[in-house]
Amino acid sequence: MHIMEGFLPAIWCVVWWLIALPCLGMGFIQLKRALAADRDSLALLGVTGAFIFILSSLKLPSVTGSCSHPTGTGLSAISFGPWITALVGAVVLLFQSLFLAHGGLSVLGANIVSMGIVGPLVGYGVYRALRKTQVNMFFTVFLASALADLFTYVTTSLELALAYPAEVGGVASSFAAFMGIFAVTQVPLAVVEGVILALVFKYIVQMKPEILVRLKVFPEEKLVATQRGLADAA
Amino acid sequence: MLRNRRLEIIAGVTVLAFIGLFLATTMVMPTAEFAGSDTVASGMISEMTGTPEENFQPLIPQWAPPSGEIESMLFALQAAVGGIVLGYVFGSWRAERRNRDVAPSGTNPDVNV
Repeated sequence: MHIMEGFLPAIWCVVWWLIALPCLGMGFIQLKRALAADRDSLALLGVTGAFIFILSSLKLPSVTGSCSHPTGTGLSAISFGPWITALVGAVVLLFQSLFLAHGGLSVLGANIVSMGIVGPLVGYGVYRALRKTQVNMFFTVFLASALADLFTYVTTSLELALAYPAEVGGVASSFAAFMGIFAVTQVPLAVVEGVILALVFKYIVQMKPEILVRLKVFPEEKLVATQRGLADAA
Repeated sequence: MLRNRRLEIIAGVTVLAFIGLFLATTMVMPTAEFAGSDTVASGMISEMTGTPEENFQPLIPQWAPPSGEIESMLFALQAAVGGIVLGYVFGSWRAERRNRDVAPSGTNPDVNV
């Protein structure tokens, strides 16, 4: 999902930076508020952030014969919402821009919008829609994480398509072409990421359900019942 | 017991299927290079615009790792930082839970984890 430095015309770099900056500001305000209200949430932020660090460093081979990496943002989006997630994602992307030549400072805005904002926003939307329904909690985490991953790459495709419309067929045609590279490669990775993050969520429910209750990640009854079920079966 | 490990089993099967898919891909596409999709996309931009890739110069000057070895070291470092934080928090949560479980009942803490 990294757009490489120099591959986005300056005007689009500015556009995506202008979209990214207020989201990061919002994340900063929310993060300060969340930590002031409950120091314990720092530990959960550490866990969800750790998965963004770990998963986004793993370049995995896929069916298209090329490699891509998961994003790891789903768990953070569910626990803290998309804006704080944007901030954590921006830290990883900044590290990669400065030291790994993956992305760069001019395209950082565009990369933050795809991995830090749109992906988490989609994951968060899916999670909000399913949160209070009968749908299994772990399936909700799976779906939200997998779609956050996938839509990050859909967004990258769109960003590139807007900057490079095809001569024949315009934006739509080059969007399809970039989707062929990014989104198709990403589908198996997104499934694996969703399953892994659902499993991690289970461990959090087992070890620290009270923090999920306090942050109202899922309704208390649902969390407590699941946690009891897991403890009884052990 | 098995019911309790349902998610672990699903995760295990998914990872195995992913590995199987990779092996199948290498067989169907023996020439596949498994380059990064970022690189593939950059190649495509160069093709679409008819501009050679080396003409896309960074807008903001950028340091690049001098070799693949150094790049993979930095990626490993990134993952390691995440792994250390994760291990620390999960470890302290587990210890906290164990201490709380053991205090009132005095049972063997290993039974209920």
